[in-house]
Amino acid sequence: MPGNNLFAALRSLHDNRIEFILVGGLAGVLSGAPLQTYDVDIVYCRDPENVERILRWVGEVDAIFRIQSARRLRPNETHLQGAGHLNLLTRYGPVDLLAFAGSNLGFAELLPHSTAMDIGEGIRIRVLNLEKLIEIKEELGTGKDKAALPILRQTLRELRKKGSQPMR
Amino acid sequence: VPDSEATPDEPAPEPEYSEDGVDLSLIRWMLSLTPAERLQFLEQRIRDILAIRELNARK
Repeated sequence: MPGNNLFAALRSLHDNRIEFILVGGLAGVLSGAPLQTYDVDIVYCRDPENVERILRWVGEVDAIFRIQSARRLRPNETHLQGAGHLNLLTRYGPVDLLAFAGSNLGFAELLPHSTAMDIGEGIRIRVLNLEKLIEIKEELGTGKDKAALPILRQTLRELRKKGSQPMR
Repeated sequence: VPDSEATPDEPAPEPEYSEDGVDLSLIRWMLSLTPAERLQFLEQRIRDILAIRELNARK
């Protein structure tokens, strides 16, 4: 069973110069929300150069589809150019590659709603801000998304009360 | 050693929850950390949980 190392997963994306925005529960945690999450969800830029970098990363971290993992299917260029969610298992644990989040919001649309955060060892990654994360989860409205909303909303209220940014 | 100790007759501070039951002290504590510290904390918790699960799966 692969380990679950969130930092190493993010570092591997950063080291491969992949353009991405961290979304999902981990984005909430990095902004200060006390959520429990086990995977890394990213929205990636679908430019051909970035897709090429992701393909290199796929080989490096031994990424395979989580569904039918016994078949060890590797995502390919066509998958990455598509509009779907690629739920992968890597040597660092689960990583989900999303072409879009919410109602068809891609990398370019989400970029203005993201902040660069230092996650240690001088590594800076772009993280979706709480306002947009809440908006997307409200739109999606699944049980899992609804469950996280009270904590996300309250974290945003506390942040505004503090008058500070998610970064320190 | 605590910075200050409650006197014996002093009640414990009331927990603070939002109307929908969210623990505000937990949020405020998380906000006192840097993003890198938040990530480390989550990773440590995940490792702890997986270790306990593994231990119990072997029994």
